[in-house]
Amino acid sequence: MTGRPIFFVIRYGLILLALVIVLIPILWMGTMAFKPFPEWTTATGDLTWLPKEPTWGNFEYIFTGQTEDLLVTLDRTAERPILASLVTAVLGTAIAVIVGTLGAYAVSRFKVGNNLPLSVLQLRLFPPLAVMIPVMIMWASLGMVDTWWGLALIYGIVTLPFAFWLMKTFFDEVPIEIEEAALVEGCSRIRIFLKVTLPMVKAALASTCLFVFILNWSDYLIALLLTRKDWVTIPVYMNSLASAMGGQMYGCKAALGLIAAIPPVVFGIAIQKYLVRGLTFGALKQ
Amino acid sequence: MSAQTAFGAARRGGLFADEAKRLGFLMSLPAQLLLLFIVVFPLLMQIYVSLTYWGPLDGESWIYAYKSLNPLDNYGELFIDGRFWASIARTLFIVVVSVPIEFLLGLGLATLFVDQFPGRRIFYSILLMPMMIVPAVAGYMFFMLFQSNGPINDLVSRLTGLDMDFVWLSDPNLAIVAVMIADIWQWTPLMFLILLAGMMGVPEDQLRAATLLGANSWQRFWRIVLPKMKMVIIIAVVIRVVECFKIFDLLAVMTKGGPGVETETLSYYIYKLTFADLEWAYVAALGLFVLIALSLIAWAALWRLQKAQARAETQPGR
Repeated sequence: MTGRPIFFVIRYGLILLALVIVLIPILWMGTMAFKPFPEWTTATGDLTWLPKEPTWGNFEYIFTGQTEDLLVTLDRTAERPILASLVTAVLGTAIAVIVGTLGAYAVSRFKVGNNLPLSVLQLRLFPPLAVMIPVMIMWASLGMVDTWWGLALIYGIVTLPFAFWLMKTFFDEVPIEIEEAALVEGCSRIRIFLKVTLPMVKAALASTCLFVFILNWSDYLIALLLTRKDWVTIPVYMNSLASAMGGQMYGCKAALGLIAAIPPVVFGIAIQKYLVRGLTFGALKQ
Repeated sequence: MSAQTAFGAARRGGLFADEAKRLGFLMSLPAQLLLLFIVVFPLLMQIYVSLTYWGPLDGESWIYAYKSLNPLDNYGELFIDGRFWASIARTLFIVVVSVPIEFLLGLGLATLFVDQFPGRRIFYSILLMPMMIVPAVAGYMFFMLFQSNGPINDLVSRLTGLDMDFVWLSDPNLAIVAVMIADIWQWTPLMFLILLAGMMGVPEDQLRAATLLGANSWQRFWRIVLPKMKMVIIIAVVIRVVECFKIFDLLAVMTKGGPGVETETLSYYIYKLTFADLEWAYVAALGLFVLIALSLIAWAALWRLQKAQARAETQPGR
């Protein structure tokens, strides 16, 4: 606010403190992923902050099931959960964005489906566990428990509100005159949507996809409820690692956590401009 | 249809012709069907199951749940279910403590970032990172940090010179503190992000005018910035309260509701009832009760907000 050196020092001091607090947990996991077994805990000596003998052993273990430090072999390796997370998050995103974009355009341009803005919001209001009993019964009776399509479908539904609201605010900002001009040229309305409007919101659409992908990728609870074995996602698999082994698998789980953490952080930074809009359902712009 | 009439139709009410209505209907159909599939049908099913003793191990489809029809037993039970009310109280405690702390920290950080300075962009990106971390993974980070021989005790011991060996996650009082610290770590960035966006939106000329009139920065903050941010603050706090009330992932990884039931929140209690006790009919009733309570709160809040807006419109200029 002012150029006085005291403010300068206070500001950087406080920011530095915040950065340290933010980074410590992330760095602890990041370094843990590269620590060999003896450095995981203090059981064999002092707490090590930085790996003394960095190793790829933890990654090797979760992907191949064995590594020199650990005697027990891992019977279920990480590729499958990573694949499950990718497939279901991508498909769920596709469902949410396609359905949300169509619905948003209908509401924004044709004033049809005016119940949608509030109706989709209620999907976010309630704790998922309070409404999951019938969903679990339905998924079981439709044979969708522990399948990629079952998980993708529910992901598409729970992230629909974000996709819908984001796309609605973007469509609301496109001047209607351009579409009217195209209409005068004799374009059909569906062509206008596909060839005129969508290209104009291309960047916004891409950000919406990434945003929704992050949300789906971050889920733990729904996968916990609706998968059993074949399609467990990374967080569910990660949490089951310890219980199968007895004793904490710090390094291996940290390695897995690092793999799970990277895509959302990279995508999140890439779409920083749209984060505020996405998280406030379009109520705010940045 | 000639171009001329199409133009006319478009002019009369936006893109409003019959053809447009039909297309709009078709485009909104998938969303409506999904809502029907996930809201209307399950809701009816939940009401039905909640009136019975049906459970997944009964060996019969839920359709035959009427055989154990007991219309109000589940609802009667939830009023005397001490664990349920304790879990709600605990959840509210977490919300009431964490969200204000997140708000104040977020607001404080936002004031530091409101104008340009070297390094702003990179600091901003780093500060946003916690909320992009998968919550279950963040929970695991804090699970490691809070081990009794873990880095937090180590760090505090080194800084204070005392020998700290709190068993954070198994201590009945500290476990919930650890969970709240993790929640604050992860979600303060969200407050920061939203509040900063709101703060940047405060018109600069008003601030300059206030400065010319002799207002100091403290007065500008209280008299101009905060009142202008009212809506943004409401949005940020409502979003966090709603999300914090659902808290599950962090504590499912960190404490599993324990020690005992000391960190058992509403979501975690329902989770245990569903998978450990398999009391699905009771869970249906409980869930429905929560659903109705939250709907009433949301409805009352919306109603008050609309009334406040109407009042603001009839009294322009205040």
